[in-house]
Amino acid sequence: MRSAHGILALMRVSFLSAASYRVALVLSFVALLVSIVPIYFVAGALQPVVEESIRIEGGRYFDFIVVGTSAIYLISAAAGALPAALGGSLATGTFEALFVTRTPLPALLLGLVGYALSQAVLRALLLLGAGALIGVAVAWAQLPVVILIALLLVGAYFAFGLVAAALVLAFRTSGPLLAVVNSGSILLGGAYYSTTVIPAWLQDLSALVPLTYGLRAARMLLLGGAGIGDVLPDVATLSLFTVTLLAIGMLAFGTALRHARRSGSLSQY
Amino acid sequence: MIISVAGLTKRFPVRRTWGELLRAPRGRSTQTVVRDVSFEVAEGEIFGLLGQNGAGKTTIFKMLSTLILADDGEATIAGFDVRTRAGAVRRVLAPVIANERSLYWRLPARENLRLFTALQGLRGAAARAEEERVLGVTGLGDTGAKMVGTFSSGMRQRLLIARALIGRPRVLLLDEPTRSLDPISARDFRRFLRETVVRAEGCTVLLATHDADEVWELCDRVGVLEQGRLLTVDATHVLRHQAGNDRFRVWVHAADAAALRARLAAAGPTLEPRGGAAEPGWEQFDCEVGGGADGAARVLALLASGPERVARFERTAPTLADLIERVVAPGAAAGGREASHA
Repeated sequence: MRSAHGILALMRVSFLSAASYRVALVLSFVALLVSIVPIYFVAGALQPVVEESIRIEGGRYFDFIVVGTSAIYLISAAAGALPAALGGSLATGTFEALFVTRTPLPALLLGLVGYALSQAVLRALLLLGAGALIGVAVAWAQLPVVILIALLLVGAYFAFGLVAAALVLAFRTSGPLLAVVNSGSILLGGAYYSTTVIPAWLQDLSALVPLTYGLRAARMLLLGGAGIGDVLPDVATLSLFTVTLLAIGMLAFGTALRHARRSGSLSQY
Repeated sequence: MIISVAGLTKRFPVRRTWGELLRAPRGRSTQTVVRDVSFEVAEGEIFGLLGQNGAGKTTIFKMLSTLILADDGEATIAGFDVRTRAGAVRRVLAPVIANERSLYWRLPARENLRLFTALQGLRGAAARAEEERVLGVTGLGDTGAKMVGTFSSGMRQRLLIARALIGRPRVLLLDEPTRSLDPISARDFRRFLRETVVRAEGCTVLLATHDADEVWELCDRVGVLEQGRLLTVDATHVLRHQAGNDRFRVWVHAADAAALRARLAAAGPTLEPRGGAAEPGWEQFDCEVGGGADGAARVLALLASGPERVARFERTAPTLADLIERVVAPGAAAGGREASHA
């Protein structure tokens, strides 16, 4: 209970800090909504070209892109929020102050990323909602299963965030890891085109990307009229990815934390 | 004893140059920043760790507050080992993170505290009451709604202390708390620390500083650190007496300075030039006066009876350098970098 209270308190502070930049906060949501307009027209222009390749995922390119973009918001936040928050709070000394409180470390980490993840969820929902207003045919009845898939995706990419945060703890930078994870996922995970249209050798690589399974399953459920049974193989594979990656991420973070406490790099003025 | 430190040692890895890496790829270079430090602090005491920058004060604090793991030795806070019972230690000890940037500047002071009442496990009315209590204790009661970014440095220091006082910790660690304060704010802060934090709140305070005046004014006992070694620990008044209870400063008109120096030297006191003028037209120098109060009275009579224009004759507090030079045996400390091969 104390942990949940601590997580909410950290999320509240992050929200209040972000909300203190009022214009930036409002503009970020306005830009999100405005960006859907060019997507709508570009998708319409490309519809005849890509229709066949995305038939299993609904066949409408605009719908396909809206779901893909929403997923990108989620995985980018899941992977990037922790290293960013940790790096910032280490540089200011805030992390030291948090670390020496009675709240357990896992709760502190979740609290540090909670607001960024919530904002990403809100942005994804807004995009889906705006899309629905201008024609995206979403099977809302499948939303509970899609939320589960989204949680699995967030878990898998949070694991990459844990590894990146471990690098921040140990070396003060996560290097190119996040750029590789994000751009690799966008390139190979089928965010903007079906993975069936990329070269065969790249398709083999896309099988190693968690987004591939999560996004395909989400689109089939939300846009393609599929049932839960149709997406079970993808969900099972994604679950395996999530569990394995989270174990690796936690191991990396724990090792880096011990290293930082030994080498004195946990705190920095 | 609420704090007990025995043989605490910390070595940090030293970043090696490319040349060193090529010559000995598997070699390892470390620097011992805290070496075999032992001391104890009683409940309700203000204990000072006095040392120059780089003496190891902050590293000791970070080991006590569980942020850094010691390589050797052990430390307990209220009986809890800092290595094996870190969670329990965090319930009784609060380091005051001196970095003002660790506050949320774009939020009001009360919001900053609200976060930490939640993280310390307080909720609802109890949390609100605790926020008001620590704001009141630190003299920030009427500024709780103001943005931290509009605070002066002194107010931010108070807010950092208020944050640390949440949950009534039994031990407070303060690392150079007056570092960024002007002299008047620093004096007020010391009074607040002594009268409010220690007397009213009942905290035990471990204070790290390089300012000997701060130690003389605040601490019951003091340990002197140099290059990671604790050179001596004693009651503040004992160390102060040993380090320079016989040191006085004389202000004399510049035109009379040479004559007065000659007369004092003939009378016995050891003179030590201070360098630079005290004020336009005036010079100052220090002298060691033996014989305690009687000796000082004799020198004062000598000054009053002569023709030289003397403006001041005052006892001066010993500095950190005095302590190290006069109390601790010269050459006692030897820190340094060691090379080892893994």
